[in-house]
Amino acid sequence: MSRNVAVVGIGHSRFGRRTDVNIAELAFESIKQALEDAGIDRKDVGFVTVGSAGGWYEEALPAVVINEYSGFKSVGTMRVEAACASGSAAVKVARDMIASGETDIALAVGVEKMSEVDTLTSVELIGRAGSYMWEFENYGMTFPAYYALYAVAHMNRFGTTTEDLARVAVKAHKYGAMNPLAQFQRDITVEKVLTSQVVAWPLKLYDSCPLTDGSAAVVLASEEVARKLTDTPIWIRGIGYSSDSANLSKRDDYIGLRASVEAAQRAYSSSKVGPEKIDVATCHDCFTIAEIMAYEDLGFCRKGEGATLIREGQTEIGGKIPVNLDGGLKAKGHPIGATGVSMIVEITKQLRNEAGRRQASIKNGFGLAHNVGGTGHYAYVTILSRDAT
Amino acid sequence: MSSDPVLHSRRSLTLRFDIPISHTREFWDGLKEGKFLVTRCKKCGNISFPPQSDCPRCMSNEHEWVELKREGKLLTYTLVQVTPASFVDNDPYIVAIAEFQGGIKILAWLEGAKLDKIGPGIQVRLETRVSKEGNPYYVFTLPQSL
Repeated sequence: MSRNVAVVGIGHSRFGRRTDVNIAELAFESIKQALEDAGIDRKDVGFVTVGSAGGWYEEALPAVVINEYSGFKSVGTMRVEAACASGSAAVKVARDMIASGETDIALAVGVEKMSEVDTLTSVELIGRAGSYMWEFENYGMTFPAYYALYAVAHMNRFGTTTEDLARVAVKAHKYGAMNPLAQFQRDITVEKVLTSQVVAWPLKLYDSCPLTDGSAAVVLASEEVARKLTDTPIWIRGIGYSSDSANLSKRDDYIGLRASVEAAQRAYSSSKVGPEKIDVATCHDCFTIAEIMAYEDLGFCRKGEGATLIREGQTEIGGKIPVNLDGGLKAKGHPIGATGVSMIVEITKQLRNEAGRRQASIKNGFGLAHNVGGTGHYAYVTILSRDAT
Repeated sequence: MSSDPVLHSRRSLTLRFDIPISHTREFWDGLKEGKFLVTRCKKCGNISFPPQSDCPRCMSNEHEWVELKREGKLLTYTLVQVTPASFVDNDPYIVAIAEFQGGIKILAWLEGAKLDKIGPGIQVRLETRVSKEGNPYYVFTLPQSL
């Protein structure tokens, strides 16, 4: 990569059940904010990437529908798909377009609208995200069921308990309650999680992220342009990525996500920092077990010790590594394609010291966004920093 | 529920796929005859499940079909309580991953099991089935003693 790239504008819609807007109107909320935050107009943007998994809303070509509504003309564009990591993938494509010298300013949008079909149809569409032929057609896998397979193996191997899982949800809701854009803004208790409906044993309703409508957008710029636009550019220092088998039956084990481990290693290596330097992180907590595995896979603790971090409160503000201070996927909501971009927005806010009541203490100037697609089918880890080098 | 006005679309879309299985026909036909076949690469010896006519290790398309031993070890499992739209008529089902000879792992339903009677490490058996619509599939079952 030849050129440094910074986040110079951020936008984020309210997450939740957004029956008040269609897909383009929802994306526009974030796009307008991001452009205004960057102090640029649409003609300045060389390329628009749109992260969206799609299938649960009416438009088949979201990128062009959104660009038309937002008033872009003749802009280069594409929809980017990496399941729940589509947003991070959209950011990566936009970053690469600038780093390569192709364009100076690019916009990455993440958007999903999941409430236009009924709940069980959404369950079906996500359940098909893996190997349809071998794991859905005859066996009806669901998103919580995929992660439940990991939860059972992790609990069996390391003694992780359902209470440990519940603590992750409690923490998510604690910070979600401080985030006015979050889908759920109320505290919950361990008891409430443990007595909620089982969706895929041992995972319960409150171990699971909700179905969400939402959008997020970031304006990225080359170093030369970024320094003209803002005094507080937040630099993309490295993006690591990997993938794993479509069939869960082909995984090495069920106690962690290999794709996350490899994406993190690549991100740390390209950023030249290690996990000990990260001040704040967003981890992909689509289910509570996923956050515990993420602590381990990202190197915030050793394998098998993820539950200890949550028990000791080490991933809260003031702890060793604060995680998901925006409420995470669990409380903020998980609009599939928007999530990765939302994470970059959150880390940018944290590094700019703009997170208000839920602000982490920034000592080293590094933040990390960990975004998983499917059940470790894809993984992207993005490291951001206050300094360009 | 929200009271926002929505346009309830007049057009609905049903997707039903005709999935080609000519390259794995032996597998599906085998299931109907009670056999569980996997592919073995003639060039490098790699065994694949799911079966595939092109070897993912050496990329050779020369393969043969071999029977897999039916005894396996349970690795992990879940009880799917909230089922997808197309499975709403099913009772909750246990989905498991078990490991077989040569490290081959398979995901399937575990039939006739109760959650409190099973755990990782127990022995399971791979059985072939044909659905009432005539589609072959396979499941895990428990030894009689469980």
